[in-house]
Amino acid sequence: MNLLRQYVQSILNARKLLIITFLLCFALFIYAPFTITLLRSVGKDWFGKAWLPPTLTLDWYKWAWEIGQVPEITKNTLIIAALAVTMSTLIAIPTGWAFGRRNVPGKEVLMSVILLPRMIPPIAYALGVARIFYRLHLVDTHFGVALAHTAICAPYAILVLSSTFEGLDERVLEAASVCGANAVRTFFHVILPMVLPGILSSVIFTFTTSYNELTLTLLTYGVHTKTLPVRTYLAVGEGYLEVTSAMAVILVIPSLFVLFMIQRQVAPEKLVGGFKGV
Amino acid sequence: MSDFLRRQRQSILTLLMLSPGFAGFLGLFFYPMMVTVVRSLRPEGQEVGWTLANYIEFLSKPGTRQVIVLTFVLAISSTLLSIVLSVPLTLILREKPWGHRFFRLTVLIPITVPGLVGALGLLVFYGSRGWLNLFVTQVLHLPKLNINYTVPGLILFYLWHYFPYTALTTLATLEGLDRSIEEAASVAGANDWQVLRHVVLPLIAPGILAGSVLTFMAAFGSFSIPLVTGGNYRPLSVAIYTQIESFTPARWSMGSAMSVVMAILQVTFLSIYMRVLRRPMA
Repeated sequence: MNLLRQYVQSILNARKLLIITFLLCFALFIYAPFTITLLRSVGKDWFGKAWLPPTLTLDWYKWAWEIGQVPEITKNTLIIAALAVTMSTLIAIPTGWAFGRRNVPGKEVLMSVILLPRMIPPIAYALGVARIFYRLHLVDTHFGVALAHTAICAPYAILVLSSTFEGLDERVLEAASVCGANAVRTFFHVILPMVLPGILSSVIFTFTTSYNELTLTLLTYGVHTKTLPVRTYLAVGEGYLEVTSAMAVILVIPSLFVLFMIQRQVAPEKLVGGFKGV
Repeated sequence: MSDFLRRQRQSILTLLMLSPGFAGFLGLFFYPMMVTVVRSLRPEGQEVGWTLANYIEFLSKPGTRQVIVLTFVLAISSTLLSIVLSVPLTLILREKPWGHRFFRLTVLIPITVPGLVGALGLLVFYGSRGWLNLFVTQVLHLPKLNINYTVPGLILFYLWHYFPYTALTTLATLEGLDRSIEEAASVAGANDWQVLRHVVLPLIAPGILAGSVLTFMAAFGSFSIPLVTGGNYRPLSVAIYTQIESFTPARWSMGSAMSVVMAILQVTFLSIYMRVLRRPMA
């Protein structure tokens, strides 16, 4: 009996060990690439068989900053992302409201039509976008690149906001009007506080999409509208691994901030969900 | 009468509210897609005339089959691997072990961080001077592994970038699962493995498949990852970009024809996938 208990216990222990090993391997799989990039960006004379860089330096960041024109490119990226977020949100508020709270015939079908740009790979319509933008002289303008980003950001904003608006409790609105609040008051004191988290998560997601976007940017950017992903892509081609790593580290900082926001503000599964009926 | 008018006004208002969304859809997606289709039917470099020559040339080129097969191989195998990785991971995370919040955050990393950063890190890590090869040569004393710029390497990189879609959906499904069903099964005498195999897995299968659709879509359309890490292996997306980037003058018509083929393949495959999903699970 005692032997049996020992045996069961050992299996349980082994299972625990297995779980820990699995989780450690998983963390290694995800984080090791970042760690080595970070070390590359501060390491000097790191050749051959060394596990860690022999000397540390910040020179690569200086290079990235000066030769890679990181400040100007960061400015471009943020302007474009801000424009794309604004346009997507402005599009998504009325349309999301209609989808979430009004009687729209054929809602499911219309919604999947709206989501089509996220289901077709962007490269499939990127050539068309580029040709149209060339004709309208929108290529190499902040507005043009942001407009191209809106093509993939807006459907997502509509999706998030429509589910936010759908979740508004009718009874609270009724209560507000029973208590004598007029439409303006109801909007500012009741509706707005209730939908703000939804709008915030839509802003976070559209910002991330625009900030990371490379496909449509590569076909619409120019000398004046290089974004950080484009610059990093060009740097990879140029082949200075250390400077590229420094750029990559700079590129990743806002994403980590966003990650923190996501963790605090919204349920992560919302990040991928939204294809109703799947 | 006034009721009729009011209803009329309400539906006009709905229409007005929907219009920005559909204007965006038409202007930024539908019109570009149509321009792409028209361009693909024009002779290369000309603005007039209709021809199918671009499609015929693309579909009859010897390299085309390889490109399409590669695209599907990458997408399908990374999707399958994402399921293999996600199921045990989410089963563990569901038990809320020590540090589970950290691992939940870890799952989000590949889809929040710019794809290029991940791609660069993976290239360095798995490269000939990276840590993996240091481990293989110095600790295990084995010959160097070639991972970068090979098909298995690309599949690994795709897995890194796109497994969160499967994992997050599976995790959400698992957490929505009613624990009492499993308890009933184990009270009825099923051991852990039987509970997992006959109760939990069938119940979360729809969630797993729904997540894997998202992984498949992302992997099929992936552009920046194979662009940077693919080397000589070019899936459709990169092959399209090559038509514009590496030819002077750019081969817009050819690129457009390939874009149309890609869109059709994606839609066809997705609708088959959805149909399979919608079928009631046996």
